[in-house]
Amino acid sequence: MSEKKQPVSRRQFLNYSLTGVGGFMAASMLAPMVRFAIDPVLEATSGSEMHAVVDVSEITTEPQRFDWTVNQVDAWYTSDVTKSAWVYKDENDEIVALSPTCKHLGCAVSWASNPDYPEEFFCPCHEGRYYKSGLNVPDTPPNAALDLFEYEVKDGTLHLGNIVENTVQEGGA
Amino acid sequence: MKRGKGMKFVGDSRVTADKKKFIPKDYSEFPGRTEAFWPNYLLKEWLVGAVFIIGFLCLTIAHPAPLEKMADPTDTSYLPLPDWYFLFLYQLLKYKFASAQFFVLGAIVIPGLAFGGLLLAPFLDRGKERRPHKRPIATGLMILSFIAVFWLTYEASAHVDWEEKAENNKPELPDDQPTVEIDESDPGYALYEENSCINCHGGDLTGGGAAPGLIGMEHGVDEIKDIAVNGVGQMPADQFQGTEEELQQLADFIVSVNEQAAEEE
Amino acid sequence: MLQKIYDWIDDRVDITPLWRDIADHEVPEHVNPAHHFSAFVYCFGGLTFFVTVIQILSGMFLTMYYVPDIENAWRSVYYLQTEVAHGQIVRGMHHWGASVVIVMLFLHTLRVFFQGAYKKPRELNWMVGVLLFFVMLALGLTGYLLPWDNKAYFATVVTLEIAEGVPVIGEMTKTLLNGDPSIVGAQTLARFFAIHVFFLPAALFVLMGIHFIMIRKQGISGPL
Repeated sequence: MSEKKQPVSRRQFLNYSLTGVGGFMAASMLAPMVRFAIDPVLEATSGSEMHAVVDVSEITTEPQRFDWTVNQVDAWYTSDVTKSAWVYKDENDEIVALSPTCKHLGCAVSWASNPDYPEEFFCPCHEGRYYKSGLNVPDTPPNAALDLFEYEVKDGTLHLGNIVENTVQEGGA
Repeated sequence: MKRGKGMKFVGDSRVTADKKKFIPKDYSEFPGRTEAFWPNYLLKEWLVGAVFIIGFLCLTIAHPAPLEKMADPTDTSYLPLPDWYFLFLYQLLKYKFASAQFFVLGAIVIPGLAFGGLLLAPFLDRGKERRPHKRPIATGLMILSFIAVFWLTYEASAHVDWEEKAENNKPELPDDQPTVEIDESDPGYALYEENSCINCHGGDLTGGGAAPGLIGMEHGVDEIKDIAVNGVGQMPADQFQGTEEELQQLADFIVSVNEQAAEEE
Repeated sequence: MLQKIYDWIDDRVDITPLWRDIADHEVPEHVNPAHHFSAFVYCFGGLTFFVTVIQILSGMFLTMYYVPDIENAWRSVYYLQTEVAHGQIVRGMHHWGASVVIVMLFLHTLRVFFQGAYKKPRELNWMVGVLLFFVMLALGLTGYLLPWDNKAYFATVVTLEIAEGVPVIGEMTKTLLNGDPSIVGAQTLARFFAIHVFFLPAALFVLMGIHFIMIRKQGISGPL
């Protein structure tokens, strides 16, 4: 900035006004459109919904895969989507429902599917491995434990809801 | 600008290396009251544009874009109309001299001549004179076509009850009508089939081209019995040809399907 | 800072002459509404361009939600209009813009016609302008099929009937537009979408480019 106080020239003034008016036009044109485009980002995530999955009596200490169907509303498209979880009871008789989605690149893991690792979840894509607790085996591709499902038991039936982060640290089978 | 020997370029490109400082043209370079496009004239244009967009946004907020029912090719009562800027062509094709055996004349030749004439105007009107009253043929033809287009558009739209049309075609999600599994072993269903109800109202009671669906109705058993015998709206009377007992069975069946639908909702 | 970035680019690409050529041309008095109010008739061309820009932008944003499929087209339009924030306004801009652009084009055409501005040396520009008018009408025609509501469907059926009435090539034209000799359906919608979103805008951009370059070359027509 110059120290001397310079009066704004006519050309400068016109240029400023031009920028202002142009900005106004662009803004009033784009404001509704941009809000329209970013709507999914701003939309509040829908609250958790619990879905009946399986009778508690069927759950053993060995992880089993259970499927259930969710009526999914995807904007204008409604469909039934099958979800699945690996469910078992741990040593404290607490139910653990693990998401089958590998934390590496999203493939589906399964329990003891690789004969070399009978007591682990195994992901066939990049040989990611997880202990029974869902914790990732060090030095395999995944860098976090398998996610958990929120659960509750109503009238002897297991209900599963949203996915939450698995905070398990050590141990596991 | 310097040319030939001694010219310097940026690297091996064709961009000249010796830049002259850019100095905006002095206003005095423009004769009379002529002014520079940037920023003087553009500012005025943009002010008009700013006012315009305010008005335009007000229009879009005040009048939401219309959306009618999802396309239903079987809807025979629908009066198809194009957007307003094609109404004049639509109206033209209604006239005797432009339809039936003269269809080609109305659909191709007349619009073709008009638009072809517009396209070739500079070669049809070759005189040097530019003022409208000095070239009466061109001006007259344009005014005539303008009046014709305006009048045809008016004629096409004046006979349409736009409000009623909009009212009859309000958008509604098509799956508002729940699909119901129909018990085809019900004796009522056999009657429904026998008495040719099925031909218009469809095998799943959802209606068809000529008749509305029977699911989600407000009618009770007695009303249905009455309609089956005496007809309603476009439905002719004496559709039902069975006994009183069978009529009762049929009406009960239709009501039971409706109750089933209401439960599933 | 900005100046330095500009200079850095200008050193290499020499962009100054490009935009100075647009900025520095002079605008004569007779088209300037500040001097003669009646010169507002010269605004229509500019406003047409402005609405075209609105159409392009709102159209781009609408395709973020719209799907050209007979099962889902109507549902997606209904969804974006009722569920998405400002969806009503963005579709409104595109819908009303389509009408306003035709009005503006019409007024611009009348202005040029009555002023005889299409005469030598501007014959070519007039013809390009009329072609632009046709492209706009075709955009309107293909555009209103896309929501796949009753109006869209039946108006398109009528349009295709008219196309079929053309002697000799009618049948072929209809099938070409329709994608099927008789069914107005899935293929029609896909074709109209492609024409509306890719083919016609491409033609529009080329013609608009030519139109503007010719205006710059020839200058605006003199006062009457």
